[in-house]
Amino acid sequence: MADDLSLILIIVLIIMAIGLAFSIGANDETLSALVGAGVLKFKLALIIGGIAIGGGMIFFSGGFVAKTVGSDILGEGIQYTTYMLLTVLISSIIWLVVGSYAGIPLSSTHSLIGSIFGVLIIYAISQGGVNPETALNWDKLGDVVLSWFLSPLFGLLITFILFKIIARLYLSHLKGLNQIEKSERNFKWLLLIAVIFAEIWVGANSGEALGILYGLLNNGSLELSQYFFFSVICGIFAFLGIYFAARYVIKNLASQMIDSRPSEGLIIQMSSAIILMIATIFGLPISHSHVIVFCIIGMGLAQKKEVDIKGLGKMGIFWVLTFPVAAILAGFIYLGFLSFGFL
Amino acid sequence: MIEIDEKELKKLNIDELTHMFMDNINEQTMRLIKGIENLIQENFKDFKENMNYVIKTNTEVQIKKQFESKIFKSKLMFSKADRLKLFNKINDIKNIGEFLANRMLLYKAIFPDEEFKQYILKILKLLKSISNKITEAVKSIGSDLSKAHDICEEIKEERRKMRIEEWKLLNRLYNYDMDYLSRTFLYLKNLIEDIMMLADHIKNFSEYIQFLATKYLIFE
Repeated sequence: MADDLSLILIIVLIIMAIGLAFSIGANDETLSALVGAGVLKFKLALIIGGIAIGGGMIFFSGGFVAKTVGSDILGEGIQYTTYMLLTVLISSIIWLVVGSYAGIPLSSTHSLIGSIFGVLIIYAISQGGVNPETALNWDKLGDVVLSWFLSPLFGLLITFILFKIIARLYLSHLKGLNQIEKSERNFKWLLLIAVIFAEIWVGANSGEALGILYGLLNNGSLELSQYFFFSVICGIFAFLGIYFAARYVIKNLASQMIDSRPSEGLIIQMSSAIILMIATIFGLPISHSHVIVFCIIGMGLAQKKEVDIKGLGKMGIFWVLTFPVAAILAGFIYLGFLSFGFL
Repeated sequence: MIEIDEKELKKLNIDELTHMFMDNINEQTMRLIKGIENLIQENFKDFKENMNYVIKTNTEVQIKKQFESKIFKSKLMFSKADRLKLFNKINDIKNIGEFLANRMLLYKAIFPDEEFKQYILKILKLLKSISNKITEAVKSIGSDLSKAHDICEEIKEERRKMRIEEWKLLNRLYNYDMDYLSRTFLYLKNLIEDIMMLADHIKNFSEYIQFLATKYLIFE
């Protein structure tokens, strides 16, 4: 009976991980710059973007960010139990759903790491032999949290510098509208490359789905071959998420970007992709939305445009709140499981 | 009536069609100004001929149709809407000019005195200048936005000078010692105000061109 229950739980976790992969694709708006600039036909853009995000998830997530979420962030000798993983997912989902209803932009990455933190602290407190100080890999957690602050700032800085360099060397030498149009037509092909590059690293850095699978691999619930199989399934569902669900968001955003310049889109996408790539290589799960928002701010500052300080302040408050709120929420949920004897 | 060969029109690109359209409208504005000068000189035959030219010429409709069909299918990326708006603003010059020409044909006014005539001629000279300058600015948009921006600055400066003259003229009209027919008064008042309206439109148009220059140019 107990084995049956844990098998059911493992299946539920795998389904939820696949669902998460779908939602990662469904919430991705990276392609809107490409569609807005009219570089590719809509369906073709969705297919290419879907393949890139799915490919990034399959080939680059497992060894880096998923490993951090699924194992490296844990203290020595600590492994996830299926209830811990279930709690992490339930808590993240509740906080994100609440955020969506309230119209607050939240980071799924911050929410996930916060939930892991809450669960592990409760686990350590409730288990006599585990010291909360060793339940977590504090160095790794410190790196992750530091990367949340550094990645948007570096995104802003890289965008600012890249724009200034390109503007000085090239854009400021364009004189007439015809010349500008012609040059932007060339930029759109570079934008295509930048967006594919960005999509790959968005997929690679989205460690939520594969992190759960890695946790199951790490605690012996999954074999390596099963882990790889479900990773591929997650990649495919990320593709399907873009193709079937993200299209509405992308279409909507693209229609607002109809007169945006591909050169600006290129710089923003390139900067965010570079940040995501570096973070992924270091196994640091960061928020893509936060990076892209700061890249856009960097572009605005470089062009001496006004920055929406009020909107930014609101985002900053929820940015800081996400981690503790998710941790507290996860802690309470896990306490609930523990009270029923589910470890 | 002048007709433009449709085949020739089809060969032109969006930029060339815009230039052709602007030239066409500018030519009509020049004929309008010439017509008013004819009226001042009491050369009624040429006055009527020039006014009718402005009213009846519709070559710009041909160019407009061709332009609209081309821009609809064009692969221009982000300047499509701005180019379309630019074209419509040129077209508005024609609409105002046509309105002015029609109104002028309603009645043949006698100008009160020589000084009044000189004032009108002075204003017309400035109108001619800003009309030619806006043509030059429109033609520079494709090749040199900074130049277009600078020309528009000159237009705004000339419009300022023109406005001072116009108010002097209106003042003179309202405070003229001798009585004249009420319809003559109304006609002259409308003439001055219509010229002001045309000049104002050109000034607003020049501001739009400056907005385009600011939007598209990246300064370092």
